[in-house]
Amino acid sequence: MHSRIIQANLHLSKPSVTIGEHMFAKRTFAHSDREQSNYMSIESESPQPLDVHGGVTRRSVLQGAAALSASMLPFSVARASTTIRWWSTQSSPEQFAAYKYQIKTFEAAHPGVKVLFERTSDEGYPMQLAAAFAGGSMPNLITHLPSFAVANYWDAGLLLPFDDVIKAVGVDDFNSGANRIYQIDADTHSAATLGNTAANMLWVRSDLLEKAGIDRPPSTWDELRTACQKMHGRGIYGAALPYAKNSATTLIIIGFIHQAGGQILSADLDVAIDSDEAVNALEFYHSMREFCPVGATNYSWGEILSAFTSGATATSLYSGRVLINVNNQNPRIAEHVTCRTYPTIAPDVKPWTYNDFPSVFIPAGAGDLEITKKFAAWLYRSDGYIRQIHAAPGHVLPVLKSVTTSPQYRDNEIIRRYQPEIERMDSAARAGHNLGWETPLHKTNVKAGAIINSGILAEMVQRVVLNDEAPRAVLAKTAKRIEAIMKS
Amino acid sequence: MIVTRKRLSLDAKYSILGAILIAPTILVFCTIIVYPLIAAIYLSLFSIYTPTMEGQWVGFDNYAQLLASGEFWRSLLNNIIWTAGTLSLQLVFGILVALMLHQNMLFRSLARSLILFPYFLSTVVAVLIWRWMFNDLYGVLNHLLMWAGILDMPVDWLGSMPNAMVSLIFIGAWKYFPFVVIVVLARLQSIPESLYEAATMDGAGRFARFIDITLPQLKDVLIVIILLRTIWDFKEFDLIYLLTGGGPIISTQTLPLMVYREAFALNQMGNASAVAVLMMLIMLVFMTLYLRKTED
Repeated sequence: MHSRIIQANLHLSKPSVTIGEHMFAKRTFAHSDREQSNYMSIESESPQPLDVHGGVTRRSVLQGAAALSASMLPFSVARASTTIRWWSTQSSPEQFAAYKYQIKTFEAAHPGVKVLFERTSDEGYPMQLAAAFAGGSMPNLITHLPSFAVANYWDAGLLLPFDDVIKAVGVDDFNSGANRIYQIDADTHSAATLGNTAANMLWVRSDLLEKAGIDRPPSTWDELRTACQKMHGRGIYGAALPYAKNSATTLIIIGFIHQAGGQILSADLDVAIDSDEAVNALEFYHSMREFCPVGATNYSWGEILSAFTSGATATSLYSGRVLINVNNQNPRIAEHVTCRTYPTIAPDVKPWTYNDFPSVFIPAGAGDLEITKKFAAWLYRSDGYIRQIHAAPGHVLPVLKSVTTSPQYRDNEIIRRYQPEIERMDSAARAGHNLGWETPLHKTNVKAGAIINSGILAEMVQRVVLNDEAPRAVLAKTAKRIEAIMKS
Repeated sequence: MIVTRKRLSLDAKYSILGAILIAPTILVFCTIIVYPLIAAIYLSLFSIYTPTMEGQWVGFDNYAQLLASGEFWRSLLNNIIWTAGTLSLQLVFGILVALMLHQNMLFRSLARSLILFPYFLSTVVAVLIWRWMFNDLYGVLNHLLMWAGILDMPVDWLGSMPNAMVSLIFIGAWKYFPFVVIVVLARLQSIPESLYEAATMDGAGRFARFIDITLPQLKDVLIVIILLRTIWDFKEFDLIYLLTGGGPIISTQTLPLMVYREAFALNQMGNASAVAVLMMLIMLVFMTLYLRKTED
């Protein structure tokens, strides 16, 4: 589907000048030369005896020290083990414990291999990864990045094909279509889906709905506004939506535009945000501000989650992580939380679920490729994979058939208790999309990451909500800025 | 073949020795100062995609676009407001606290140690503490102000203007005023007591002694503090980035944040380098003033 565009881009986008070739070529050669001379000196030189007749001269000491360190170098190199660096944006304490188990079992099965886990974040990975790629210090394996980031890196030639790992896991074991978003052509995948996430579910407190005299969770915007209005007050806010300059606001407003029946780009990737539907979305999002905490202008995913978990808000928008957090941190409300797909402007507009298709991929230039691929496949081994899923049940949903149907996966208190919610999230996530692939009719948008990271859409929200600027005028400016990114 | 070795004079030998001794310093200087400087200027003449460091020569287009963009000038204005605001508060707090700590008081040594605490605290930790205090739902600041009846509703300290800029300036002053305290206190201790005794005998009061003796004596050291702190505050990144990220919209975005955003969020290393070079030129003015002052 999107593979042809990516391939075409890969072949056509030859820059006229490569900075690396000009500016840094000398440095690279110098480095190589130095390395070569080091090795030569190790082979040819041997420690010089001290001048016992004339006493210990400074020269002889320096020579001896240099030779000693040179002679020790091969020894230390020989002792060094292979180290695999693994980056992830998902590292809650429970998830980290599951990773530690996977690392421990892998290291035990592969003596001499060490896996080093390094945390990154949803807000920070674009910057950290850009710096790592630019500096040539990329990790061996990266997990949980959204599909649109993967498309962007693949387009820039920064990733290696992931098919060996998919084959090692078992092509047929993946849910049908689980990896289609990463498929480049019949034989090539840029990454694999590590799990599904329904990131913009409507979470609501059933006890507060009942108190407000509402018999079911809202399914349209009008119903949502009415429900929030009725539940708002007495120390509880109606909603927790972000109005900050961050990716959370960006990703959520994209969902609202789709829930209004609009889109950011057309199926052919022409800018389509300047529309009546987007005006409706912005006006509705603005109208919800009065039900949100005052600090929502600085909220990201963490704050949205905390606000609902703590019981400060009656509704929220989040993934299944709500379940474990509520059960661990505020069990008082645990039996009253439930979720639905986020409401739309009207019953005839279908829900649009944001699934970032948490990925696993290998950057080009990563060393120790064979063992890295083995470790990537190890992450899907049922014992460790189920631990990962159980670390945040409902947050990352399994994509392997063997796991989804296994009793071990279902043997979890939260999965048992919230079976209807888990099933709702699973079906919503399977039909999910994101800016990299807005609808089944859309081509893959390899510029999605650049649009999201630019903060243009979050800025659009802030201009309308905080500055009270007219949505139509803001959308016109936003459309131009997105167009500039698409053309860049 | 006979090779005649020409004997070098002692002066020549000393010159060679001098050059050899200074060579490591020059090498280090070139590696950590000259090379990055030239690289930044060089990169600013290209349009470069950060992750691949590949790009095209664009000459001075990056500079032209920047100077024509409202974002650059707004960021510069924010930079000036932030620097002037936080520096003024640092000076006022710093001088007041230094004067206080110069007095004979109980637990003076302990107070002198504790006052340095914010300066030594990691910026990330300081920001986490402040963000927690500013939190709209659980923050102690809103809670206290509402408890005292000063506020009816929590205040959005970091997400709306002008609160965000005021909060930044205040936290910056809190974090860095101990530097002013240290330097001013050191100078206060070296002002001859006889000057104050003579002024007292002439009938000068406390305020007159401060204006006519203390301030003139502090003048030189204050100029150095202002110049140094201006340079440091102008290029402040972590505190602002972690507290507001430059928002709302770009109301607290300063030039260092713009460099970071261009380089790593938008992956435009050429543009980022151009902003950095322009920033360097602005700071060069302060640098020159500082060098002239210290030469005097």
